[in-house]
Order: sequence, then structure tokens, then C-alpha cells
Amino acid sequence: MEIVLETDQLGKRYGRAWALRDCSLRLPAGRVAALVGPNGAGKSTLLHLAVGLLRPDAGAVRVFGRTPYDDIAVLSEVGFVAQDTPLYRDFTADELFTMGTKLNRRFDTALAHRRLAQIGIPRDKPVGKLSGGQRAQVALALAMAKRPRLLLLDEPVASIDPLARREFLQALMGVVAETGTTVLLSSHILADLERTCDHLIVLHASQVRLVGDVSALLTEHRRLVGPRDGGSPPAGVAQVVRAEHTDRQSTLLVRTNAPLRDPAWKAYDVTLEDLILAYLGDGGSRPHAAWEVAA
Amino acid sequence: MIWLAWRQHRKQALFTAIGLALLAVLMVPTGLAMRHTFADLGLDDCVGALGTASVIPADADACGRASIQFNGQYSVLTMIGVLFLVLPLLVGLFWGAPLVAREIEQGTHRMVWTQGVSRGRWALVKFGVAGTVALVASVVYGLGVSWWLTPMSQAGQHGRFNIFFFDMQGTAPIGYTIFAVTLGIFAGTIWPKVLPAMSATLVGFLGLRIALTTLARPHYLPARVLTFPVKDAAEQTNPAAGDWILSYGIRDASGKMVTANAQIACAPDATGPGAACGADLGITSGAYNWQLYQPGTRFWLFQAIETGIFVAVAALLLLLAVRRIRRVA
Repeated sequence: MEIVLETDQLGKRYGRAWALRDCSLRLPAGRVAALVGPNGAGKSTLLHLAVGLLRPDAGAVRVFGRTPYDDIAVLSEVGFVAQDTPLYRDFTADELFTMGTKLNRRFDTALAHRRLAQIGIPRDKPVGKLSGGQRAQVALALAMAKRPRLLLLDEPVASIDPLARREFLQALMGVVAETGTTVLLSSHILADLERTCDHLIVLHASQVRLVGDVSALLTEHRRLVGPRDGGSPPAGVAQVVRAEHTDRQSTLLVRTNAPLRDPAWKAYDVTLEDLILAYLGDGGSRPHAAWEVAA
Repeated sequence: MIWLAWRQHRKQALFTAIGLALLAVLMVPTGLAMRHTFADLGLDDCVGALGTASVIPADADACGRASIQFNGQYSVLTMIGVLFLVLPLLVGLFWGAPLVAREIEQGTHRMVWTQGVSRGRWALVKFGVAGTVALVASVVYGLGVSWWLTPMSQAGQHGRFNIFFFDMQGTAPIGYTIFAVTLGIFAGTIWPKVLPAMSATLVGFLGLRIALTTLARPHYLPARVLTFPVKDAAEQTNPAAGDWILSYGIRDASGKMVTANAQIACAPDATGPGAACGADLGITSGAYNWQLYQPGTRFWLFQAIETGIFVAVAALLLLLAVRRIRRVA
């Protein structure tokens, strides 16, 4: 299994505050991974480290086995769409693609043209005059035309309306299916991720809380409902991620390592959203407003 | 990459070109008119005859009346000319400051730095294009203003060495412009927003310019002292020499300054109201005129020193800007 992105004890500090700390994870090739966490959790920092915009203060980050900081060899294999999809607003899409051909050794202008034609975005209009969703599509086309082996997207759908968001994610899934590119996509809109991602990275308060394959994570986590004060959780529970109690019963979100057989506890499947919220909830300090659940 | 830099900044380049064209529209006709008047008044020959010596015989200045007439006619233009002093600053504010600041303010640095070009090359080309346009504009401006000011300087009222007039001709404006642009670029890497970067450029530019002009420039080379007698004056200062007079006055026989900012020369056989020859001002026999000055022949040397200082500061700022850019994300 080829590892596209690997971090080892990675850390980045702004002044005294750590934006990211002790981050160790591996992203296998071919995955569409979601990077999830509230605002300020360190998502952008991790992506910026991965694309070589930032240099780590601790640990290491490797993309295709190389250190990405200011390395053209890595840059030519990585497509990046930064937060708020920044583009030169007085450029037309055609001019942006010309820039792409001038600034990259490999740039597939035909692919970019095809992508914009499919969704009917004019190429001769300054992108500043396009809608937010259209601009995001142009930014995606610009990144995809590099034919990258790794595509990093920083909150690409955060600022666009739900319909445009769905179109964007459909477009993204289309190119992923076509090219087999590995994708790492940060978002705090959970509902979108369930449909698009097969790999999950949960960041909270600068640290990695959960990493893994989505279906494996969903299989090994269960929601248990049982009597209040049933003593210790039943056999087969490796970790209680989150516990809620009412007068009579307890609801636990647990990680299992064996089949559950205790008849006193009823086991339910969890959704991706349950899982993410459970792993983010344990700090207790998180303001609820930091979350937008499915706009 | 050059294509990108040009595409991004062609509008500013166009505005710069339009600005220079407007300047030319103002300067070419007035410059020609000045030259015409200058020649008509016979100033060409008499200024040539005065030479560049700091002192000339007392009876040598035949240009006085013509010079006064010329200066009277064109003094307004001189004042307009002083406005040109701000042009290098404008280039720094509108070319230099937004160059990096706008990219970071709008987040587009994250797009352009993640294409297949290293940050170092990006900076090199972008600064190179901006620097070249600024250089071309400032050379045209510096030499153009030199040409325009020549008759005024020669007519003696505003020597080319004087503060303000030194600053807007020759190579000095080239140094100022390059400095202003790099200061803008550097400010943009420290305060990555356009307005703060522009403010910092404004303050930094004026600060260094004023400090160097008032504190350092008079001392680039040791100033010379010139003395000549008050009474029985056989010589006088040469208005065509273009000397930069730092201070002057009349000292008595013991060397003590009697009257600052004054100069008196009495003919040996003076009569009438001037016959007292300053006796009422406390000027006694043995008093002499004194002046501290930089000779006009040092003009180009001083221009080179001034330009060199600003170009060196610009190079340092550029180096720091590139270092900063490697750390921004």
C-alpha cells in the first residue's frame, strides 16, 4: 500500500501557541480523506504543511516520501485549493489557465476547458464576476489540470450555497473516479463528508483524535444503551468515547474490539456524524457554535 | 512567470506611462520656452564666461540683470517643479507596497506558491519586473528633470546643488525610486495588507529622505571654507558656480562671527549710503566674508554617493523581503 502523505509527531507553532501538535498519520493512495475539526483545530495548518507553504517546527511531514517545503518536485505532484478559493479576480479563467501552463511543467489545459464546459462556466469573464460556487469550480479545474497525484482542498465548500456545494462535490468525485487521485479535503460540514469520503482524520485542539478508514471505523464503533450504573461497560468494549446519563439509563459511544454479547446493553450502529461529534465532544471546552451541522 | 507578473501589473505600468507622458507634456514645451528665453537674454554666453570657479572678480558678473529677469519670469515653474519630489514616493506607494501585500491580503499567494514555481523564483521575477519598470520610469524622470532644470540652475537662483533641486535631477531620483519600491515590497512582507504597507512606506521613505538630506548629505565630503574681504573687495562669489553654501556670514579679524547669513562687499572707492560699509552693523576693519560650502564641481560625486546609499539600502530591503517571503504561509 503506497503512502501518499505521512506525518510523524508533526508540530507547528505560532508564537507560543501550538497550531498543530504531535500529529502522526498516514494517508494511503487512492483515498478520499476528510479532515474534520472545528475552526482553529489546525486543519489549515496541516494542509499548509503538507503542500509546503509552511515549515514544521517539530516532527516531519512527507509527501511521496519527500519533504514538501518549497520543493518544486512535490509541488508538481500536488494540487491545492486554499481556503476561500483565492484567484486573481481580474483574470479570466482562460488567463488563469495560461498562468497554469506557464507555471507548471505539466498542465492539461484541455482538461480544464472540458471541466468548465461541462458545468457551463464562461472562460472569458473575470473570475471576480463569477459566483462563489463558480469560482470554486474554476479553482478546482486549475488544481486538477496539474493532473496531481494528491489533491488538497482547504474548506472548498465552506462559503458556497448548498446546491453549488453539491455540484462541487459531484465534480470532485467525478475527477477522482476518472484519475484515481488521492484527496484530502478539510471541512466542517459533516453531512457532505458522509457521501464523499472513505477516510477520516479528526483534529481537535491541535491534536489528532481519530484516523482511519470510514467503514472500518463505523464497524468498530457502537452506541450502547443500558441501565444507569451498570458498573463497568460490557466485555468487548475497548474504549468509551463518550457517555451520557439520564436517571435510568446510560448511552455510551464505544470502540469495540470484540463482539458484544451482554444482553443488558442494546447496541446500535453509529453514523459518521455521531462518531465525529463524539470524538470532538470530550474536551468539553468546544463552543457549540463552532459547528455547522449540514446547512 | 514573467507573463504572470506583467499580466498582474500591466495596469500600474500603463498608469506609470501615462503619468510620464503627462509630465512630458508639461515639461517639454516649458523647457523649450525656458531655453529660448535663456538664449534671448544672452545668458548662454555670459554664464559660460563666468565659468565654475567659486569666486570671480568683483566686476565680472555681467549676467545679473538678465538672471533676475529670467528668474522672475520662471519662478512659478520652479515651485511647480518642487512637486516632482513626491513622484518617487508615489511609485513606491502604488508599485511597491501592493506587490506582496495584496497577494497575501487576498490569499492568492497560496494559489501562486503552490503552482510549479519556487517562491524564490516567483519573488525574483516579480521584483525584477517591478524594479525594471520603476528603473525605466525613474531614469526618464531623472534625466528629463535635469534637462528641464538646467536653465534655472544656470541662471543662479536655484543651483542644482540646493536641497530640493539636487533631489529631483540626475541619478538621485533613480535611487529614491528604487528605494521606495523595495521599501514598499518589504513593508508588504511585514504588514501583509495594502494600506498598512503603504503607510509604512510613506513614513519610512520620508524618514530616511529627511534624515539623510539634513543630517548626512552636508558631510558626504568635508566642506570647504571660502573667505574674502569686506572692504576693497576685488572678488565675489560666482552665482554660476553652483556651489552648495551650507552657512555664511561675516567674521571679524579675530574670527568671531559678527553677522550670520550676511555678505558684504564694498568697492574701494564707495560713496553714498553704502560708504559706511557695514560700520553701523559693527563690522570693523579686518572683518571678512566667510562661507562654508560644497563646491559645485562635486555635484555628480554627491549624486553618486546619494544614489549609492539609497540603492544599497534598497538591496538590503530586498534581501530581507525575500527572507520574509520564505517564512510567510
